Amino acid sequence: MSLLELEAVRVVLGGRRILDGIDLAVEEGERVVVLGPSGSGKTTVLRLLAGLAVPAAGRVLVGGRPAAADGRLLIPPEERQVGMVFQDLALWPHLTVAGNLELGLRARGVPRTVRRQRVAEMLELVELGDRARARPGELSGGEQQRVALARALVLRPRALLLDEPLSSLDPPLARRLVGVILRLQERLGLTLVHVTHDREEARALATRTLFLERGRLSG
Amino acid sequence: MALRRIVLSLAVVLLLVAGVLPVAVMAGRSLVVDGRLGLAAYHGLLASSRQWELLGNSLRLAGLVTVAAVALGVPAGLLLGRTDLPGRRALGTLLALPLLLPPSVTAVAWMGAAAPSGPVVRLLGAGASAVLSSFLFGLPGTVLVLATAFAPLVMLLVAAALRSVPPRMEEAGLLVARWPAVLLRVTLPLVAPGVLLAAALVFLMALGEVSVPPTLRYPVFAVESLTRFAAFYDLAAATAAAMPLVALTAAVLGAEALLVRRTRGTTGMESRGAGRALVVPLGRWRRPAAVAAWSLAGLLVGLPLAVLLVRAGGAASYAEALGRAGDALGRSLLLAALGGALLAVVGFLLAVLAWERHGRLWAVPDAVALFLFAVPAAVLGVGLIVTWNRPWANVVYATPLILLLGYLGHFTAVSLRLSRASLELVPAGLVEAARVAGVGWGRRLLWVVAPGAWRGIAAAGLAGAAFCLRDVGMTLLVHPPGWDTLPVRIMTLAANGAPSLIAALSVILVAATLVPVVLLGAVLGRREVLP
Repeated sequence: MSLLELEAVRVVLGGRRILDGIDLAVEEGERVVVLGPSGSGKTTVLRLLAGLAVPAAGRVLVGGRPAAADGRLLIPPEERQVGMVFQDLALWPHLTVAGNLELGLRARGVPRTVRRQRVAEMLELVELGDRARARPGELSGGEQQRVALARALVLRPRALLLDEPLSSLDPPLARRLVGVILRLQERLGLTLVHVTHDREEARALATRTLFLERGRLSG
Repeated sequence: MALRRIVLSLAVVLLLVAGVLPVAVMAGRSLVVDGRLGLAAYHGLLASSRQWELLGNSLRLAGLVTVAAVALGVPAGLLLGRTDLPGRRALGTLLALPLLLPPSVTAVAWMGAAAPSGPVVRLLGAGASAVLSSFLFGLPGTVLVLATAFAPLVMLLVAAALRSVPPRMEEAGLLVARWPAVLLRVTLPLVAPGVLLAAALVFLMALGEVSVPPTLRYPVFAVESLTRFAAFYDLAAATAAAMPLVALTAAVLGAEALLVRRTRGTTGMESRGAGRALVVPLGRWRRPAAVAAWSLAGLLVGLPLAVLLVRAGGAASYAEALGRAGDALGRSLLLAALGGALLAVVGFLLAVLAWERHGRLWAVPDAVALFLFAVPAAVLGVGLIVTWNRPWANVVYATPLILLLGYLGHFTAVSLRLSRASLELVPAGLVEAARVAGVGWGRRLLWVVAPGAWRGIAAAGLAGAAFCLRDVGMTLLVHPPGWDTLPVRIMTLAANGAPSLIAALSVILVAATLVPVVLLGAVLGRREVLP
């Protein structure tokens, strides 16, 4: 049984077919990279897996359970056990770094002491232990990327979805973050789905690479 | 570039002459008593325990109105701006209507509801009149009327702020929590600056309101300035009485700006406007929420309007009303049209100044316009009279020009903000392409920028016209002989006119206000087509 699956998924936005009947199966522990040009529908693939978009036709399965089908959302995003790093990071600017990590834990009713401990552990993992009280606007680009990564992982998801998180970084910083991602993936036993238009990035991260063009996915 | 400097400077000068000059002259005038410079007028004011009591009343009223307006306006803004509530556009229009009516008309309607001969009392029984009247006349009734009138401002500013929340911020929240938590911990903190601005404006508008408190017999400080001027023509005392309101306006807006600046570093939304706004599905709460929202709108807006309609009676009342105030209606519409056009042009130019970040002081006109919007209308009215009541200035003082100046000074913030919002939608690339092609500033403005922002400019003109149409506080003071407007005529006739006549005139004013409101809805409802 695959951890994440798309079955004959079709997505139409504004009358345009973004995805045209694609199939995808991601196995536990895999690092799948979806390569494609801008506007090819890469982000839509991640949004379907996260539950932020619903296919007009076809099915999305998470852990073998139908999560969305034919225009209906069956499992909401917060119950899918997936974390996501957005292309623009979308860090909440009014919260501190720790606040950004804590929000999901609070929503799940995790006790305060446990919450603090998990946030501290996660920040140590991404080497930001001393930045817990900073606001996102006070961090460098690389630090913001790592906060976004830590926020996506603090709820201990089974899969991590990455939407071109390295695109705005200079090459040395991007290489360092690739190292951080690979280390975390191995340590936490994560499944990765990463979308990008950058072949170098794909080569560095992928155990399997797929190509998305004109709404169709090829191996 | 010379053309740009001339045109934009002209717009700034117009704002300064229309609004800042009267306030400055008034401040200076308050320091002159019997031809001598001094603080005698302030001594008199500060020594009077009555003035302190009135100031306390004003602050109490403004505080309660702000709390009530925020409590009504924020949920309404969220419901209308974020959810799939059925009929939310019609509900939004209905809820926004009281903002565009003179609050005195709303007060007249509620008085009709409480009157022994009114339809509500006839429905509930004779005993209801005493209960309703004891509630209406005094602080609770004044709070009710003003909160109904100003809550739409909060609602509209919250809805506008919601549009600038990047959807990605909320989506990131949805990955870890359900909508209520996301609304509470992500969305609301991001729109907090909008709520804060709305609360500050409501507080100041309630503080300066001069038509409702005397109608509902709640003594306040702003009426004092008006009375000292209207009854005794005591300029020094009137201006001295107005200055605390000016100082309070500056203090509240300053505090608001400071708070927003402190939070802006934490709410700078980097990916502003990226993607389509999210909709919160109400699910099984959709129907109960709709019933609750429509019921509240029916009670707060529908009921007073229905009372007016019932009390106006048949066609004879309307015929008499048009006979007695048809001229005032015509003048109201003419002044609203001229005022709206003037506001659209000046507001657009000042918005361009801010948009282009032209010069070092590009942000100043916006702050000045906001201050002048918040300054009580009656205070600005006294300032205009003090400034222009001179033999050489009769061409302004004795003609409708003084009203247009007053409208420009008081309402530029409305047109400036609406134009500015639409300018943000004009892609910078379009303007740069025209510039590279050698198109000069003036032509770029006319051929590229204005067509791209036409919706905002039209909305600015229509909203400006609606605000001119509703003004009472300033028009009452400064209108030249024979140039009173319909709201002013209603207020003067309300003292001893027949209830059916007042109700019919109010219905006519509501209908006249609906013209720009409906046009505004049509303009804002059209889809923006940008290349």
